[in-house]
Amino acid sequence: MRKFLAVVKHEYKKVVLRWSFLIGTLLFPVLGAGFAVVPALIFSIKGEPTRIVIVDKEGKIGPRIRANLSPEKIAQKQAEALKDTSFEPTVGAKNPNDSLKGIAAGFVFVSFDANGKSDEQIRSELNAMAADKEIDAYLLVPQQLGGKFEFLSRKAGDFVANGMIQDAVNDAVRSERLTEANISETTLQQINKKADIETKAIDEHGREKSSDALLAASFVIGLMIYISLTIYGQVILGAVVEEKETRIAEILFSSAKPFELMLGKLVGVGLAGLTQLGIWVTSLALLVGFLMLQTDLAPLLAGAPHITPLMVVYFLLFFLLGYFLFASIFALIGSMVTTVQEGGQFAFPPIMLMLVGFYFSFAVIRDPSSPLSFWVSIAPFWAPITMPVRILAETPPFWQIALSISINAVAICGMVWLCARVYRVGMLMYGKRATLPEVWKWIREA
Amino acid sequence: MEEEEVTLRVDGITKSFGDFCAVDDLSFSVKAGRIFGFLGPNGAGKTTTIRMVVGINVPDSGTIELFGKRINGTTQDHIGYLPEERGLYKKTKIVDQLRYFAALKNVPQKEADKRIDRWLDRMELSEWKNKKTTDLSKGMQQKVQFISTVLHDPDLLILDEPFSGLDPVNVEFMIGVLSEFRQSNKTVIFSTHLMETAERLCHDILLISRGKKVVSGSLREVKESYGRNRIAVRIEGGSQLLSDFPGVESVVEKADERILSLRQDADPQELLRGLVAAGAKVTKFEYVEPTLNDIFIEQIGGAK
Repeated sequence: MRKFLAVVKHEYKKVVLRWSFLIGTLLFPVLGAGFAVVPALIFSIKGEPTRIVIVDKEGKIGPRIRANLSPEKIAQKQAEALKDTSFEPTVGAKNPNDSLKGIAAGFVFVSFDANGKSDEQIRSELNAMAADKEIDAYLLVPQQLGGKFEFLSRKAGDFVANGMIQDAVNDAVRSERLTEANISETTLQQINKKADIETKAIDEHGREKSSDALLAASFVIGLMIYISLTIYGQVILGAVVEEKETRIAEILFSSAKPFELMLGKLVGVGLAGLTQLGIWVTSLALLVGFLMLQTDLAPLLAGAPHITPLMVVYFLLFFLLGYFLFASIFALIGSMVTTVQEGGQFAFPPIMLMLVGFYFSFAVIRDPSSPLSFWVSIAPFWAPITMPVRILAETPPFWQIALSISINAVAICGMVWLCARVYRVGMLMYGKRATLPEVWKWIREA
Repeated sequence: MEEEEVTLRVDGITKSFGDFCAVDDLSFSVKAGRIFGFLGPNGAGKTTTIRMVVGINVPDSGTIELFGKRINGTTQDHIGYLPEERGLYKKTKIVDQLRYFAALKNVPQKEADKRIDRWLDRMELSEWKNKKTTDLSKGMQQKVQFISTVLHDPDLLILDEPFSGLDPVNVEFMIGVLSEFRQSNKTVIFSTHLMETAERLCHDILLISRGKKVVSGSLREVKESYGRNRIAVRIEGGSQLLSDFPGVESVVEKADERILSLRQDADPQELLRGLVAAGAKVTKFEYVEPTLNDIFIEQIGGAK
């Protein structure tokens, strides 16, 4: 037992104390933070307000535009935009301008006396003011409603402000036309009101769940397990081949039982994987917590799926099941081959097997209660990827989860048993790669 | 002959791989405080035998006793094994590798750290303690591997070609270390192809071929059993008589003398009388001990 623990400790440290582990572990939360938090933080820094002159000789549209650009109006627009995007799983909205309105700095209206001046005169005076940095932009309102508006700005790259002015002008012109046509603003708002469609799933207990976010979260869970299994499978493969290639195996076998060594390796690397996932899950929780605290962004999370601690436990449990299943396959391959390169070629079948499981998870997301979803979520090799997806999408009855765990636990015992037999002989066979009939012989004779 | 303490007793072990019989009913014993030379050509079954002793393989039949007990998981902790094909983790620090190997032999970490420092210092490798294997020369790696086999202070040391890859200075150094081991009543089993080294170091030898024992015993006994029929002769004239003499099996010409091998039943005295009678001037006529090399070639060459 002490030797087994020594192997576990050695293998764990070997993985965790490597740069690639540190980088991989940090990269996920950093990227996550990068996608979610950084844009929000950057855009929450409000810029300088735009000083603007609105030249409107008629005096009809100008006041409407000014009203549309008032802070209250902008806040109202922002709320609407958020509502439109609230069931998007990601922070980014369909039209970036929509979600960015909230962070525009607002406008300061600079008065300018245009009375009795020609267009050219107005232009040159305003251009001079802009050059002196007295104003940032000016808007020339045409005398007829169908005419061309002219917007000139020192900060032509400020797409947020430009977008708002565009909206404000459009709204103002529309309102003016409606007034001319004797249609009131409220009537129009009623006409224009979007039909509200919200897609929701109903779970077993009749509770409603928001479906888009669920879809995304299920996909992310499946992907995370698939990627982790691939990475840690390769770590095992590399570690086994190294011991065979460098002939360390012979020294190890003269010190401890091959089974202790193999299982210690699987457990040590598995704990390293669990450490990484643990860090990821924790940082994800912290990230969500951070977003919740940002009151501006809270509506974005309204549609997020409700993940219970039990789901996290299931997630880690199924990762472990999948890990031991595939890691023992990779260890078996590692003890058959002679070099890392050769091992890479033979890693293809188990990776394909995982990939198929990952593809099945799409079918599970689409219809979590179909017979197909049932079978793939209890099948060995695929269940570790598809079951967590299914639990998140629509938690199946407990007996199905228990069945899935039991079937996969039995499969692990079988795989570890097979692997131990091949490992014991294969690790000391130098020179050439073992053929499948040879491996079969080792399994039978061991 | 006094009763000596036996470290290892191998009794009638056989091991086959498929149709191939690697070790065939082999028995021998190794005495405490001796250096035991385990010799034989490639493929004779040396490595297979050693692997059975260290518990990597299990014999099909026969028994192996270490310190009077059948080998099991705990006997492994008393053996230090340096395999012929050996290596280290490429990207792990030397000290971490040594700690791991020590832990696998049940050495507590504190004690292991003390011993690691002592041995690294002794091998003049202290400054490499925190380096990786890839930074070390091949000779240094050999020394690190040797350290890994002695960290748990084994009572039986099994070394398979321990000097390959070492320069002569380091070979002498290692021989010094082995002598110390022997003096503290530990046992060394030493497997090699280098007969000169074996002859210099070993007290007892076992020569095997095709999985079977060919010659065994103390170096002295073995040599004596081959020595009586070998004679070094230096003569002037009468050389024709040497090859005509009925008891002479072979004549090997050396720089200024000839080595004669006589049949067991031939009488050297008769040959000497014959030479003198033939008028040859005999300046040297003495029994010679065969070298291990001679014995090896005679036994294995004859068997092939």
